[in-house]
Amino acid sequence: MSWVKKYGLSAAAIAISLVVFVVPFIFIIFMAVKDQQQSAQMDFSWPTSFHVVENFVQVIQARDFMLITAYINSTVITVTSVALLVVLSALVGFVLQRRVTWWTPWVDFFILAGLMMPPAVVPTITLMQQLGIFKTIHGLVLIEVAYNMSFSVILFRNFIATIPRELDEAAIIDGARPLSLFFRVILPMLKPVTVTVIVVQTVAIFNDFVNPLYYLPGRENATVQLTLYNFQSQFVTEYNLLFMNILLITIPPLVVFLFFNRQIVAGMSAGAIKG
Amino acid sequence: MSGLKMKDLRKSFGAVDVIKGVDLEIEHGEFVVFVGPSGCGKSTLLRMTAGLEDITSGELWIGDQLCNDVEPRDRGIAMVFQSYALYPHMTVAENFGFSLTLARAPKEERERKVMDAAKILQMEHLLDRKPSQLSGGQRQRVAIGRAIVRQPEVFLFDEPLSNLDAALRVDMRMELSKLHQQLGATMIYVTHDQIEAMTLADRIVVLNGGEVQQQGAPIDLYNSPANLFVAGFIGSPKMNFTKVKVRSADATSVVVGSDELVDVMVPLSGRKLNVGDELTLGIRPHVLTTDSIGALKGTVDLVERLGNETIVNFRLATGAQWLAVLSGDIVLKQGEAVNFAAESKDILLFGADGRNLATAS
Amino acid sequence: MAVATAGAVNAPKKSRVKDRQASMYPIWLLYPAAAIYGILFLLPTITSLYYSLTRWTLFNSEFIGFDNFIQFFQEPFLYQALINTVIFAFVTSGLKVVLGLALAVLLTSPLIARDFLRSVVFFPVLVSTVGVGITFTILMHPTEGVINETLAMIGIDGPGWLVDRNLALYSVALVDVWRGVGLATVIYIAGIVSIPADYYEASRIDGATRWQQFRHITLPLVRPAMFTVIILSFIGGLRLFDLIWTMTKGGPGFSSDVMASVVYKQYQSGFYGLSTAGNVVLFVLIAVLAVPLNMFLNRKVVTR
Repeated sequence: MSWVKKYGLSAAAIAISLVVFVVPFIFIIFMAVKDQQQSAQMDFSWPTSFHVVENFVQVIQARDFMLITAYINSTVITVTSVALLVVLSALVGFVLQRRVTWWTPWVDFFILAGLMMPPAVVPTITLMQQLGIFKTIHGLVLIEVAYNMSFSVILFRNFIATIPRELDEAAIIDGARPLSLFFRVILPMLKPVTVTVIVVQTVAIFNDFVNPLYYLPGRENATVQLTLYNFQSQFVTEYNLLFMNILLITIPPLVVFLFFNRQIVAGMSAGAIKG
Repeated sequence: MSGLKMKDLRKSFGAVDVIKGVDLEIEHGEFVVFVGPSGCGKSTLLRMTAGLEDITSGELWIGDQLCNDVEPRDRGIAMVFQSYALYPHMTVAENFGFSLTLARAPKEERERKVMDAAKILQMEHLLDRKPSQLSGGQRQRVAIGRAIVRQPEVFLFDEPLSNLDAALRVDMRMELSKLHQQLGATMIYVTHDQIEAMTLADRIVVLNGGEVQQQGAPIDLYNSPANLFVAGFIGSPKMNFTKVKVRSADATSVVVGSDELVDVMVPLSGRKLNVGDELTLGIRPHVLTTDSIGALKGTVDLVERLGNETIVNFRLATGAQWLAVLSGDIVLKQGEAVNFAAESKDILLFGADGRNLATAS
Repeated sequence: MAVATAGAVNAPKKSRVKDRQASMYPIWLLYPAAAIYGILFLLPTITSLYYSLTRWTLFNSEFIGFDNFIQFFQEPFLYQALINTVIFAFVTSGLKVVLGLALAVLLTSPLIARDFLRSVVFFPVLVSTVGVGITFTILMHPTEGVINETLAMIGIDGPGWLVDRNLALYSVALVDVWRGVGLATVIYIAGIVSIPADYYEASRIDGATRWQQFRHITLPLVRPAMFTVIILSFIGGLRLFDLIWTMTKGGPGFSSDVMASVVYKQYQSGFYGLSTAGNVVLFVLIAVLAVPLNMFLNRKVVTR
């Protein structure tokens, strides 16, 4: 009786959490390997037959290997944006943390604005058209950098605050100039927070749907999220293929998660709570 | 060769003056210790010398170079920080050689100099370790090694031993002394610990409130402090003070006394004092002895018996807390009334402006 | 993510600009980042204030004053979106704040497979929103969906989650909570873990029950984490687009439209001025609701 009292509640909570959070994923996997008829029933049932390879090949081949193109696009966009974000945000975080002047409050204000405010879409598109970067991969890269900058800067700045200034001073006396101070002394010490930024931003940009929808429309430059969105209307009767697609584009974040589980959680919370 | 000269150095942060005009000349090869309570400006003065803080006004000469606007790397200085400030991602050898790497020195030269420094500090076997794999004392030595590699004209130390435990501190103190003799370089050392100052320094510079209070050989500062501040700061335990009035004065001596102090005669020449002048009398705890006819009447508050000496906390009739360090094991009871005495040559008198009457001009 | 005070807290207390700082931390290191951010985020934000006052289509633009904004408050379907946005933000952030805390308390107590459970709760955060949207659209299918079929087994006639005008917005909100509660939980966990164990031990000696411990130790000390969760999820709720768009496209009718989906729809239809005005309205909405909330919560953290 007392056992039920003591553990019953948490046992129930755990059971409910498991059902709520795990069942949808199992559902995705089941659907992805079913044949077309069984998947059309949309129920949570064990697949009567497994069509892993078959569904996989069909999804890959759909629309002239569009998913492959999308994978390449998304990878290029993600890797470039994240690389730029890391270097630029670390520089900004470094200078902002170390140097306090009359314009510091303004910069803080803009960082906060970047974190909270929705971007003005249509004027941005007009601007990008004038600059000739609308509907281009590098245009979207710059957008991702601009939109995700605030968050990265805050993570870097909070971390740099924990590096004693005496290290800068030692390097200055040893003859370091600003760039060598940053690249040879500071940046190597930012490894933990850099991993966090890389992981968090990689997941965010790879999963981004809204910005490619606005700034990178058109088939030739589609990203994986857009492809999935477009497949939704194409595979309206072939749920097995739709879910195979979902499964395929979920794998990269899953891999990232399995490798960096600890860093994601630690980094997220460090950045979030310290503020 | 190169000494170091400060001419009316000043530093202010906004409206706050931190260094209020320091004049100082340091000979080549001298070991100078800046000492003072926290906030006295000693670290700021050192950092101004290093080039980490701007100089508001005045001149800083290192050797025959005016250094006010010279970058730290070009001043011919090296600095050892309180927290050591080792680069955590570099090995000991890389830490040693970082200044040479930055200066793009040839690899052989760098390796030779790193090895030389490692030999001086006897840490050749640790060159491949990272700082995190070293003990506190070893880290301290890496910080010193990094300075040695630069072959500076002047070494600057900012409270380098304060993060070490007591035993290690004594060892490192001796090592630093040896290093100074070995290298023969000019060293400026900042500390709040007056024992470190007394043991290491050729010359001590006592700072308070951004001004030099007194400078000189350690023992001179101990024996003839220029003012109340130095008298109270140098020497451990602290000097005892009490207010007294001049009873009579002549050409070679003065007689002072107060309600709780029987009149004592102190030799003092060349002073014009008037009967009734208020002075401060200072006596070091070590020179006090118990004496049934002693001039100083006190009530015992606390007795610490250490065997070889006995530390007595006692209270004067005015309520002033005094300390006597008596040699040998002496049994005294709490609340006991005891008379203390001191030889008149050991008594110091300070004028109303706080200056030592025996030395002030 | 560290909302607002990051700068103020970490800023070293130096009263004046020093040349030494300027030479070691030169401002030109900021230029590349400032250029990208300034041109692609700030500049359009500023010009949007002008564009929102125009009738602007593919072909031309014409200054029309506040007509676009007036339209927003007069056209029922636009006004509805405004209301929906606020409802959505309150519902999702409220649920995330409460459920996240409950999950965090559960997942910081000694459990079997605790790390696994934490991962399970966090994983939806990392999954493609489009994928989540599609999956739940199918799970929530009114007749054949798994949810309603399960409810039917225990004799409940499940509602038309996404096809019922009165329910669609809340159904999407539930899915958003499912997707986002993991992040809230992680932030709470970090907050709870950083509470020194001494407090719990001291209170146990004083005879506190588990509930009293939660009420008087965990809850007050987890407050900074809670404020972060509130701000993050509230702003996220106000700006949400992808989930709505993949699940209902604002339907049925306009019943689940929010500001972000209206902005996209007007853009798609070529009403650029109206779309930009929608952006500005959302901008103002955040400025009016979230910024003061942020300032209020931050002040509470500081004075705590």
